[in-house]
Amino acid sequence: MKTLKIVAIISLIIMWTTSCSPERASLVQAKPGVQLWGENCMRCHNTPSPADFNDLEWTTIEMHMRVRANLTANESKKVFDFLKSAN
Amino acid sequence: MKKIITSLIMLVFVGNIYAQQDTNSNTTQFMIRGYGSASYTSLNDEGTKESSFNTGSFAPIFLFKMSSKLLFEAEMEFAYENGELETVLEYANVMYTLNDYMTVRAGKFLLPFGTFVERLHPSWINKLSTMPLGFGHDGITPSSGIGIELRGAFTISGSKFNYSFYSTNGPTLNDGSEEPDEAGILHFDNYEDNNKNKSFGGRIGFLPFTDSSTEIGFSFLNSKVGNTESMYEDVKSKLFAYDFSFIKKINPLGGIVDIKAQFNKSIVDDAEYFEPDGNGGFEEYTFENTSDSFYTQISYRPSMSESNFIKNLEFVGRYSELNTPEGAEWESSINQKTFGLNYWLSWRSALKINYQVTDGIGGHGGGLVDKKLFTIQWAFGL
Repeated sequence: MKTLKIVAIISLIIMWTTSCSPERASLVQAKPGVQLWGENCMRCHNTPSPADFNDLEWTTIEMHMRVRANLTANESKKVFDFLKSAN
Repeated sequence: MKKIITSLIMLVFVGNIYAQQDTNSNTTQFMIRGYGSASYTSLNDEGTKESSFNTGSFAPIFLFKMSSKLLFEAEMEFAYENGELETVLEYANVMYTLNDYMTVRAGKFLLPFGTFVERLHPSWINKLSTMPLGFGHDGITPSSGIGIELRGAFTISGSKFNYSFYSTNGPTLNDGSEEPDEAGILHFDNYEDNNKNKSFGGRIGFLPFTDSSTEIGFSFLNSKVGNTESMYEDVKSKLFAYDFSFIKKINPLGGIVDIKAQFNKSIVDDAEYFEPDGNGGFEEYTFENTSDSFYTQISYRPSMSESNFIKNLEFVGRYSELNTPEGAEWESSINQKTFGLNYWLSWRSALKINYQVTDGIGGHGGGLVDKKLFTIQWAFGL
């Protein structure tokens, strides 16, 4: 019963946030890689320095981190395109 | 064994040099990452004091990218404990990206049961030098499993969702036949299944805000846990967890605030166990086999300070507790408070100074638990 209540509350939050504003989707879609790098990496660890790895290494790390950090395909591409452009 | 490990390490280092000379991003790439630590600990266990420098641990991560969709990853952990080199295969799995929303993994992988084990346990990521109660050895939460997993992430109206569903060998019930003191405990790291049933688990994560600052998650893992053709073969376990994460640079506070929390619950069907009665026979007993653990952690880093020294400091506090079944030989009710001051030498290397107080009753040996632990740890990512 307690679990059901928690699931119901979470469902309401999801419905409320996902129906808030149509502009939210385009706002997220338009975020540049540098912003996504700042927002997503720090969810677990400090933001990495782009200079610490070369392009080939970032490409391999991208596949590892996309799964580990649950990044969307769009986020992953933008973040690692930024890292490769700034190293 | 040591010769084999040394040879393997030499082989992968040489391979790394050759692989990195390749400039075509679509061909096979190989690299080693990982993490390690070195530490000093001082423990006061109910008045008995001991202190020691520790070699800490070294955990190389091997990444083999075979195509833009196919990756093999493996992590080993080397630690020197009790006079012996201990090696652990943390994970070894192959993953294939099916499409933008689905990736399939097979092999041994860290289980997304909450977020601590899968994302936060490496020493250079964990802001404290110890794990919260309920995780690791004698914990009630699974850390890894052998099986297959489907996972992915997507956005809906600017909010982000992630999911994982997996099937593994699952936990094994310790029936107490060899270790009467541990009757009823679940063991998670099973290379071979003890029955025909496969566990089914998963996690759903939801990030409601467009800046990905907040995430809430729900995890579960259901399985039969008893040995086939034993009196425990129908015993089932249900595990679930809630996790929460908030991290954001807050301008009025001049830095980054990071809050993490996770609640874990383990429910195992009641069963009859046996303990020595002292006269050469056995006495039957049972108990309600439910356990729970919880931790919450808050940290603050004044990253907007003009002082290079101050901006690299980080203040951490964590509270955790563990409650195991009343009536079990391993009954306990323990809480732990940990305080830490970190200095970040780089984005992936920190010097951590921690003080931890653990109080309660029970655990192995029973009686009161009264431990005070001081640690200094140098953790680094590779």
